[in-house]
Amino acid sequence: MDPVSTTPVAQSGMLLAGSIAALASALWLLLPKASDTIASRRVGALLGALALAGFAATGRSLGCVGEDAVFLTVAAVAVVSGLATIVTRSPVYAAIWFAMALAGVSGVLLVLGAQFLGVATIVVYAGAILVMFLFVLMLAQPSGMASYDRVSSEPMLAAAAGAVLLGLLTLSIGRLSAAEPAACCRMPSRVEAAAAAATGTVPEASPLPAESGGNEVAHLGAQLFGRHLFAVEVAGVLLLVALVGAIAVVSRGEATEADHRREDR
Amino acid sequence: MIPATLLTNALLVGAVLFCLGLVGILTRRNLIVMFLSAELMLQGVSVTLVAWSRYHGDWGGQVLVVFVLTVAACEAAVALVLVLQAFARTGRLDAAAWQSLREDNLPRAIDRELPAGDSVVPTWPRLTPAGVRPEADASQSLERDHV
Repeated sequence: MDPVSTTPVAQSGMLLAGSIAALASALWLLLPKASDTIASRRVGALLGALALAGFAATGRSLGCVGEDAVFLTVAAVAVVSGLATIVTRSPVYAAIWFAMALAGVSGVLLVLGAQFLGVATIVVYAGAILVMFLFVLMLAQPSGMASYDRVSSEPMLAAAAGAVLLGLLTLSIGRLSAAEPAACCRMPSRVEAAAAAATGTVPEASPLPAESGGNEVAHLGAQLFGRHLFAVEVAGVLLLVALVGAIAVVSRGEATEADHRREDR
Repeated sequence: MIPATLLTNALLVGAVLFCLGLVGILTRRNLIVMFLSAELMLQGVSVTLVAWSRYHGDWGGQVLVVFVLTVAACEAAVALVLVLQAFARTGRLDAAAWQSLREDNLPRAIDRELPAGDSVVPTWPRLTPAGVRPEADASQSLERDHV
């Protein structure tokens, strides 16, 4: 028997291991450190692309990657922008790349059929939180490239940890789709479907994405302000407390500075 | 309800975003980039929650993501105020500027040598000047010409 020929599962396992190693070395090459050259960064980018292709191929061999071109596009935008967020040197560019990643994530949420959350991600994150980040950068950024933006702490260990964690998650997600009937995660929906079929009623909370349309937001709102009304109230209080706390921290800092100045005089 | 392939794809995207954010928050030293990495991890978790919520036809996941958004907004407000205060004290956005807060028996983190390749100052685009240049007091100027 030919020792080279292996089972598809073993092949995809080897591919997964290779992808983990390639992603780890790509992240390590891309992160800021002393022995940086343009060439090493290019090699890192190439390795990262290879690793992501390996992850995608692993997923395909485990029956994961679908045909939905829109989903693949927005997912690629989210993942590549997320990578650029953590490897880019300038924090302003990191914030802009994060906005791009948010656009990708919002697209993923829209493809999944969560219209309200897709829009809320753009409005709340990109519109409010990210602008706040950019304002703070404008107030606090020293001119020129700071030294601490060009080195990172323990890039090798962190890259290996991240890549191994991603490999483990990929494995467990692949197990979800590989174990078709026995997977525990399938049971509730099947039970619900059986119950709905038995009683002859349509399950209220599971409209098909194609025909859900405007009902989506209405359902979410009904859930939020019906079953989770108390949590909404608590969230409102949390927002108020955060607002008051932020203002208090700022004004107390200014007060102590003024006190110091008074003492100096 | 979404098909199982879309569920696994979305879970993969969420896992990738989470791991990237994890690597970022472990390695980067700029406080603001660390917070951006934390937000990236939150995005990964949000994608995962929405995928499961849509798969099961249960609204709990999406409701949870709404609260994740709320808490992220609160967290960003308070954290950025603290970052501004830290910057006012040290003049740097460096997390290692606060290593005097470490335990006594831990070694001091030592700066590695800086890379040579990045010392080239990039050229940024400039707008064409229009009209008379105003009299500017250089000491009062808040203008920054570097990103």
